[in-house]
Amino acid sequence: MASGAGDWSAEQIDDYETLISTTDVELLKRAWRNEKASPEILPFEEALVKRAKEQIQLMEETVDDFAESGHDPLIASLYQMDLDRAQFLLRSYLRVRLQKIEKFMFHIWKMDTYRNRLSIEEEKFTERCIRDIGKHLEETVLSKLPDNYQSVLKQSIISEEDDMVPEPQLDTFIVAKCERATRPLYLDGSRQSASFDSRNDHFQMVPGDLCILRYRPFQEELMSGNISLV
Amino acid sequence: MHGRKAYELVKEFADGEKGHLKIFNNELFERVIEECNEHHNALQSLIRKMQEEGLEVQTARNAEHYGALIHHLSLIRNKRCLMAYVYNRAEIIRELAWKVGLLHELPGEIQEKFSDSEEQYFKDHSKSLKSYMSQLSLDVNVDMVPPKDPYIKVRVLEDLGSGIILSDKSANFARHSMHFLKRTDAEQYIARGLMEELTG
Repeated sequence: MASGAGDWSAEQIDDYETLISTTDVELLKRAWRNEKASPEILPFEEALVKRAKEQIQLMEETVDDFAESGHDPLIASLYQMDLDRAQFLLRSYLRVRLQKIEKFMFHIWKMDTYRNRLSIEEEKFTERCIRDIGKHLEETVLSKLPDNYQSVLKQSIISEEDDMVPEPQLDTFIVAKCERATRPLYLDGSRQSASFDSRNDHFQMVPGDLCILRYRPFQEELMSGNISLV
Repeated sequence: MHGRKAYELVKEFADGEKGHLKIFNNELFERVIEECNEHHNALQSLIRKMQEEGLEVQTARNAEHYGALIHHLSLIRNKRCLMAYVYNRAEIIRELAWKVGLLHELPGEIQEKFSDSEEQYFKDHSKSLKSYMSQLSLDVNVDMVPPKDPYIKVRVLEDLGSGIILSDKSANFARHSMHFLKRTDAEQYIARGLMEELTG
């Protein structure tokens, strides 16, 4: 280890690390972890998913070529393993999203912010989900209830808001890892302001820091990529 | 007792084993629906009474108003219980759709626990998932656990014969025979309980 590192300057290692951390596999892994750990659905990584799919296809061809040409089976199986992992990552990423959609479909559908985070396919899926469960609930429960109580979204006609829609719990706690140094943060999420000096409960995260935080105030930091979830 | 039946219904679901369905309790379910309608009738007759007395329904705060309120709240509570019962069962049904619905019919012993509408919902949801996957041309229902090794050892639990062709070869999958297969190929059979993975 020591002798290996001796040939590299610290700068080179830094470069190498940035390079590694920006490969698509790393990006996909990060997207997948974020999606898994965040209580709400995050923006769909369209370009990344497209690239990942292309690369997987390329890999599949390579593996096939190896199998046909009777190349060293060990190498082929190493490629296969790598391919399997990449595929798992991609599928799991899409799957976690679908499961969130299944859980919060009504909520996602009525909020434009969430709806815009879906891919086209996911949007269609959400629509169908709502139609299917709507039909099922209608048939089983709602059509048998008195007129004013038949809404899927409201308890009764006098409810002013939709009070029967499951929503994600944003005040849950998450483990956040710092990717880029952040501006001074407050635990309650308030911005730096005139009273900045008078408060001393702010803190700053530097790359590599791990913090357990409430999700809601740090949504923005996550979206901007300053922190990632573990 | 207001809401007792609905409570029993939800309790029955909550007491069940997690992820498993019991037979749809139609009798109790219909009883709660009936109760809802009884509440509604009582509610309306109270409102009528207020109207006959010439009171403003929105603002009057007499005995009838509070009586009606109780009926309204009981009705809402019953509705929530009914919805929770059906919705939570629907969640399990969706899980089943993920696991088996995309490939095959459900085993009879699960299917008989569904109500008619649930059976339809299971089919509909499976179709929705399928259509998502075909648009993406990617199966998302395989690879449910992170892969360790591309090949796994499996034992065949039921006679599958030699009709099955895996991605690259076919073999005779007689009952109790053991094979070394690609994990992606074997996964769907494991999910259906036709094969088991041998570990260690």
